[in-house]
Amino acid sequence: MIRYITHILCPAMLCISLSGCEFEDEYNVSPRRNFESLWKIIDENYCFFEYKSVDWDSIHAQYSQEIEEQMSDYDLFRRMSEMLDELQDGHVNLQSSNMGVSSYDGWLRGYPSNFNTDVLRNTYWSRSQNYNDIIKHNRIVDNQIGYIYYGSFKESILEKDLDNIFSTFSYCRGIIIDVRDNGGGSITNSDRLASRFLSEKTLCGYIRHKTGKGHDDFSDPYPIYLSPSHANLWLRPVIVITNRRCYSATNNFVSKMKVLPNVTILGGRTGGGSGFPFTSELPNGWSIRFSTSPILDVDKQHTEFGIDPDIEVELTDEDIKENKDTLIEEAIRILLN
Amino acid sequence: MKRIITFILLSLCMVCRLAGQGDEEEIPRSMNEGTLLGFGTSNIKDTYLSPFNYNGWGARILNERMKTISAGKGRFSRQQIINVDITSTKNPAENVNDFGAFVDYSLSYHYRIPIGSSFKLLTGLSAHLMGGFIYNTRNGNNPLSAKVDIDLGLSVMMLYGLRIKNLPLTLRYQAELPFGGIFFSPPYGISYYEMFNEGNTSDVIAFNSFRNKFAMKNYFTVDIPIRRFALRLGYLNSLYYSDTNEINTHIISHSFMIGWVKEFIVLGGKRSNNKSRVNSSYY
Repeated sequence: MIRYITHILCPAMLCISLSGCEFEDEYNVSPRRNFESLWKIIDENYCFFEYKSVDWDSIHAQYSQEIEEQMSDYDLFRRMSEMLDELQDGHVNLQSSNMGVSSYDGWLRGYPSNFNTDVLRNTYWSRSQNYNDIIKHNRIVDNQIGYIYYGSFKESILEKDLDNIFSTFSYCRGIIIDVRDNGGGSITNSDRLASRFLSEKTLCGYIRHKTGKGHDDFSDPYPIYLSPSHANLWLRPVIVITNRRCYSATNNFVSKMKVLPNVTILGGRTGGGSGFPFTSELPNGWSIRFSTSPILDVDKQHTEFGIDPDIEVELTDEDIKENKDTLIEEAIRILLN
Repeated sequence: MKRIITFILLSLCMVCRLAGQGDEEEIPRSMNEGTLLGFGTSNIKDTYLSPFNYNGWGARILNERMKTISAGKGRFSRQQIINVDITSTKNPAENVNDFGAFVDYSLSYHYRIPIGSSFKLLTGLSAHLMGGFIYNTRNGNNPLSAKVDIDLGLSVMMLYGLRIKNLPLTLRYQAELPFGGIFFSPPYGISYYEMFNEGNTSDVIAFNSFRNKFAMKNYFTVDIPIRRFALRLGYLNSLYYSDTNEINTHIISHSFMIGWVKEFIVLGGKRSNNKSRVNSSYY
């Protein structure tokens, strides 16, 4: 009986005592307090410490000594951003209303852009129908090839509009899906497009989530399936054109498309960004976004640093001078042969 | 685990059985129904959304019905409370909002112990169902924390009638304390995308008890009769704490309540035709 009463009273007392502590969470602009808060949020939630061999404790020791109570918001924001850059993750962003957004762009360095909008406008988008500013579609090479440019998966496209687009491609021999410079957006949007290219439910990858605050606390990989759309399907050849700026949801799109039987990935290595990001905040009101759930490919491998194309092609200066896109031309050549 | 489920099911059966017995009574018993609006403060923290407290206001509408039942020769009463609560709170820096909306329903059966002529002590069990969400306006992929709880709890009420000059007042204190049940409890870092788009919902329901949840409602009211109705003024303190899968949540609200109460008799078809007892204008 006493034990039972203790079981009731102890949590109640704990809650009451905790409720007293809650009100310590007040607005706080102390650089030290905010730095420690940022470090702790990342420490307890970030998902790629082990994969990237990041020693977060030593990073704390390195950056902590540069935090001073008198430093300006600008300096604090800069030092915090530099610390976050150690994670080499474009999904890790510190944001402040007056400082803007920090964004790691090291993943872009050393890769060709493989993308020239002037060439596309002059040659391939010139008679295209624009679904909106971001999504364009066209029939090229004497109506033999269907071409879709999807510039951002932040933009959605309705199923009925996808139906219309695929209807106009019904006599084409193949389709080019150009997702270059598509920095991501919503997986729902990318899945809507990908679901047009398969006839049966297909295993396309896995997802894991953190089960606790430890760096190794992860769930078992949970399978991700892609199901075919109930509308018009395209089961003939498809080439997806990529470059390094294919990031986040676009990286996920490429990872899924790569599994499908009639699909070839052509162009450059994607940018990665396979961690599903969450958002939290600091005592001074700055927000912090970070990767929490790694999405793995069908072989349970990380794609955080990008996905290699099946066929690597680079945009050449000679083709640019002739208003030609080397990647599209190579895709056309493959589809027509 | 099986014992807990059996206990919850048996308790629910008992509550339903008591509910069924209430319909056999021949003598009409009056129903006390109050509808109150409440305004006050709200303090919310859900570490799935943010590590910080959000403070702001809350508004609620509460409807309660209470009636004695035939079981135990009138020594038991049934109380039903439906409560809708909305909140708007801000983070410490006051640049982000959390909006909350919760609906809860409780069905309680009390054993009535009269103590003297003006004091009644009511003790019993309650079944409680709560659903709602907290929505954070800034978070991208984790904007929402859903709450679904089904509990059994203890319910204690004290009623005290007094007179100030010629004005009869009724004071009430009621406490509800859930002691066990089940609730929606997603794993630490799981996204709603993984749960609801990809279907990984295997570990999202958990049993709750005092080890991972503490919730309590404290309810003070005073009824002041005004003509055929009564004005009910009150204070409702609602506490909800949970600590599961390293996600801490609290929802604390203080509401000042005001509303009206009426006492009426609900008649079934047979009894309403008994014109010797009730003079019905319809039948």
